[in-house]
Amino acid sequence: MSPLAASPWSSAGELLSRWAILCVLAVLYLVAIALSDAFLEPVYVGNILRQAAPVGIAAIGTTLVMILGCIDLSIGAIISFSAVLCAVLMAGDARNVPLAVAVTVAVGAAFGAVNGLLVVFNRSSSFILTLGTALAIYGLTQIFSGGTARGMVAPDFREFFNHRLGDVLPVLALSLLLLAAAVEILLRTTRFGRQIYLIGSNREAARLSGLPVAAVTFACYVISGAFAALGGIAVLARSGVSSTFTGRGFEFDALAAIVLGGTLFSGGRGTVVGTVAGTLVLFIAFNLVNILGFNYNLQLVLKGAIIVVASAAYARLGRDR
Amino acid sequence: MALAAASVPALQSLAHRAGIYGLLAVVLAAALLFVPGFASPTNLANVVTQSAALGLVAIGQTFVIAGGLIDLSVGQLLGLSVVLSCAITDGRSELLLPVLMAMVALGAAVGVAHGALVNRFRIEPLILTFGTLSILQGAIFAYTDQSVGRAPVELVWLANGRLLGLPVAGLVLLGFAAFAHLLLRHTRFGLRLLATGGDAESARRAGVDVARVRLLAFVLSGVGATLAGLLVAGRLGTGYPNAGQGFELDAIVAAVLGGTSLAGGRGTIAGTVAAVILLGVISNVLNLLEVSAFVQTFAKGLIVVTAIVATRARTGRGPLAATRLPAAGPDAG
Repeated sequence: MSPLAASPWSSAGELLSRWAILCVLAVLYLVAIALSDAFLEPVYVGNILRQAAPVGIAAIGTTLVMILGCIDLSIGAIISFSAVLCAVLMAGDARNVPLAVAVTVAVGAAFGAVNGLLVVFNRSSSFILTLGTALAIYGLTQIFSGGTARGMVAPDFREFFNHRLGDVLPVLALSLLLLAAAVEILLRTTRFGRQIYLIGSNREAARLSGLPVAAVTFACYVISGAFAALGGIAVLARSGVSSTFTGRGFEFDALAAIVLGGTLFSGGRGTVVGTVAGTLVLFIAFNLVNILGFNYNLQLVLKGAIIVVASAAYARLGRDR
Repeated sequence: MALAAASVPALQSLAHRAGIYGLLAVVLAAALLFVPGFASPTNLANVVTQSAALGLVAIGQTFVIAGGLIDLSVGQLLGLSVVLSCAITDGRSELLLPVLMAMVALGAAVGVAHGALVNRFRIEPLILTFGTLSILQGAIFAYTDQSVGRAPVELVWLANGRLLGLPVAGLVLLGFAAFAHLLLRHTRFGLRLLATGGDAESARRAGVDVARVRLLAFVLSGVGATLAGLLVAGRLGTGYPNAGQGFELDAIVAAVLGGTSLAGGRGTIAGTVAAVILLGVISNVLNLLEVSAFVQTFAKGLIVVTAIVATRARTGRGPLAATRLPAAGPDAG
């Protein structure tokens, strides 16, 4: 880290550490190919992308909050609520879809707004506040759904999102990629994006330089809530089931993906591309366990092991630069 | 009504100063006065009995959080302890002592693993312990997906029994809390833990073996969880694999409500225990009032948020403080 180390090697090292997750993804994919031919088939890869869509889409929004140096633990609850709400509003009729989607996203954004207000106007940490709102939203979901699956998904809605473009890429998978690209561009090219990084790097300095810290924070939580709602809609599109606990635990899956993707807990650094790559690492691993014929319990163990090993490897790469 | 008119800010400032103890006193007084059936000795003993397991977990969590860490794995570790203790003893009292020691060793081993991984690889504790949560859950369900074994009568007595009219589980909690309080307030380890949580780099420069302190904090958290598992096993009477679900979040909520700073460096055992009792009282009152389980979840969330806002639990350094984690090394800033 000394100035003397500013050789070409250090910049290569920085590049490596910045994109460590892409290396991990590439290595894991090669391992997957070695173990099973299925991973060579475009259709199968499209399936993995589709599986990853709900967590991936929700994680995109939360990445912004994490770059700010905050956290959002309520997205799992918002995903559950959104899945139920959207199914109820749709009521099995394709004509209701636009309204159902719009209302669901608006409600997700409203939950995000509540989180944003609490975080901006209270001197408590976002961790515990969003943990509290997550509980409240789970309660609302249970009250709303009566504890069982409720609502009906329109068949056309599922067909649209699962339709394969060019017989390969499901629309749902494409949605994940498009949303990721949109937010990555937002982060890189707009003033709002730069403000997020600046506030995340040093909140006090950002405030003193006159950046609208509160407004940006609020906006990021609204975005996080809205993307969680989109994640809930994606769950619905993928599985067609809207149960009370659809999204339970998704917040930690998303967090794992975000952190694997190189976003720091302390804020100021992170990319959406990294987050999507992190999500794919998780889902390729799940598929690998599945395809090798292990049962769900072992999947849980392996998921945990991958999270631990990958974040250890990542922390190492990140530190050595 | 005159009291209500005494303006919200005044109440809020009172809540802020009195913190968790004031809140507990107010809620307790309201429950005693207005909730029929709450004041009966049996019910009060029930509140304590039902809070004891969470108390043990939350006390363990207080050590890790005050040390600037976090431990999400405790719920599933508790579940593993419930399943193993019931499956191994299967009601045989002579196996109780070996199992007790084995469970303490299990909790300590998981804690050592956490500490070693955080120290060696600088993984974010939140992510690491989420990973181990998943591993432990997988381990439980690989072993069994339904209730197994039977808790020996001694465990049942420990969880539900009375000693001189007092609930035994409450005495266990009191004993563990006293031990934890002494450890945190009156030993060098406690001082070093708070110093490490407050500012790990300064603590290191002052000669604190930060790695060892973190490892011990995780060990305490693990042992708290496995001991709590024995109480839960006694209460359920059998090894239910889902027994630990959600304990981790309740424990974090209790520690933070009790004044432990998520930024690290601050925390008291008494505050955590008060918060555990507060959560127990609220849940008991909602049950007595026959509020549905769904509405209870919602109410609990609202109460947590309101309590955090009202007591302004000192959870961070500023409005935006997230958890502070040790891995924010050279990359930070």
